[in-house]
Amino acid sequence: MTRFILGLVLGTFAATAIHAQGSTAKPVKQPAPHAIQLAKIESSEIKLPPAFEMAIYEHALDEIKKTALFDQIYRDGDRRAASVTGLVTLRTDVRGFKQGSAMARQVTTVAGKTSIKVHMVLAQADGKVLLEKDLEGKVRFFGENMRATFDLAKGMARTLKDNFQKPATTSKS
Amino acid sequence: MLTKTATSTLSRLHTRARIVLLMLIIAGVPAVSPGQQQPQPPKPAPKRVRSVMGFQDIKKNETCDINVGASSVNLKGKTATVEVTVASIEDVLTGDDSARLVGGFVGTLTSFGPYGSGRFLSLFRKKLDTLTIQYRDSDGGLHGGILSMHPGEAIALKRLIVAAGAKTTVPVDDSGKPAEGTPTATAEQKKGDQKP
Repeated sequence: MTRFILGLVLGTFAATAIHAQGSTAKPVKQPAPHAIQLAKIESSEIKLPPAFEMAIYEHALDEIKKTALFDQIYRDGDRRAASVTGLVTLRTDVRGFKQGSAMARQVTTVAGKTSIKVHMVLAQADGKVLLEKDLEGKVRFFGENMRATFDLAKGMARTLKDNFQKPATTSKS
Repeated sequence: MLTKTATSTLSRLHTRARIVLLMLIIAGVPAVSPGQQQPQPPKPAPKRVRSVMGFQDIKKNETCDINVGASSVNLKGKTATVEVTVASIEDVLTGDDSARLVGGFVGTLTSFGPYGSGRFLSLFRKKLDTLTIQYRDSDGGLHGGILSMHPGEAIALKRLIVAAGAKTTVPVDDSGKPAEGTPTATAEQKKGDQKP
């Protein structure tokens, strides 16, 4: 009986370890392109307040810069990007927007969530898509509505970091 | 019988009127109807605004002086100055927002107050106007600067910037429409679009 219980416990441990190993297996990261250009936030289906649109754009630029994945980061319409080889463009389309209430959040804690849903596409100049993902930025408990744009930008940067890595620099002799 | 019914109806009406009057006093609603109110004069363009983000060299949420010149919009913060030429401005859009009356570090501290006092303070909020300025730098890169100010001042500032020669996708309307980007304004815009 004791052997049976011991076997059961050991078996459970082994199964948990195998499952954990399988779930934590990270996808292979691609080498990050040399330069990235962030296109203006589009909201074709949803009418997003202009302040929110520009806040996503500015926050995304800041957060992508923080990842240090790319040597060059260009804004939308930057003429210098035209001559850069290996440039990728990040396009973001707003697919959903729910403006909550900061007061409701602060008073009730559970109500008044603000959320912004976007579809981001990272593509090369020839149109080849390197990364495509739906993301949501939200502010659920603390903070003003605009904080959802910061949360979304952080999510965008995290997605890039999860899929790309800085290519190893070759040492010059 | 008829007199009795009429008396009871009158007393019921009196009671209702008393309740409505009491509610109005509690709610602080003025006794005059909106039609009798005198239209408020438009607010002048502000001299000081809060730069929420998007203006290089000026910190986020820094209060700065604003001056709209003949060919540029100048923002002067504590340590830096930004000049945006009017020709580079692609769009100027107004919006509205609100913020906690007690904000910042003190506001965060109050949220830990006992007996839900932090939550009570959250009920007190101030309305804000926002002005989003989309402009291009010398390389053609897009910037989105967001300014916040007192209610009613954004439209005055927009009018000033547009008069100086900046472009806008939503023309300035003197009829006192609600700020752009709000659900009401969007609905009005849609209605307008549907008209032949």
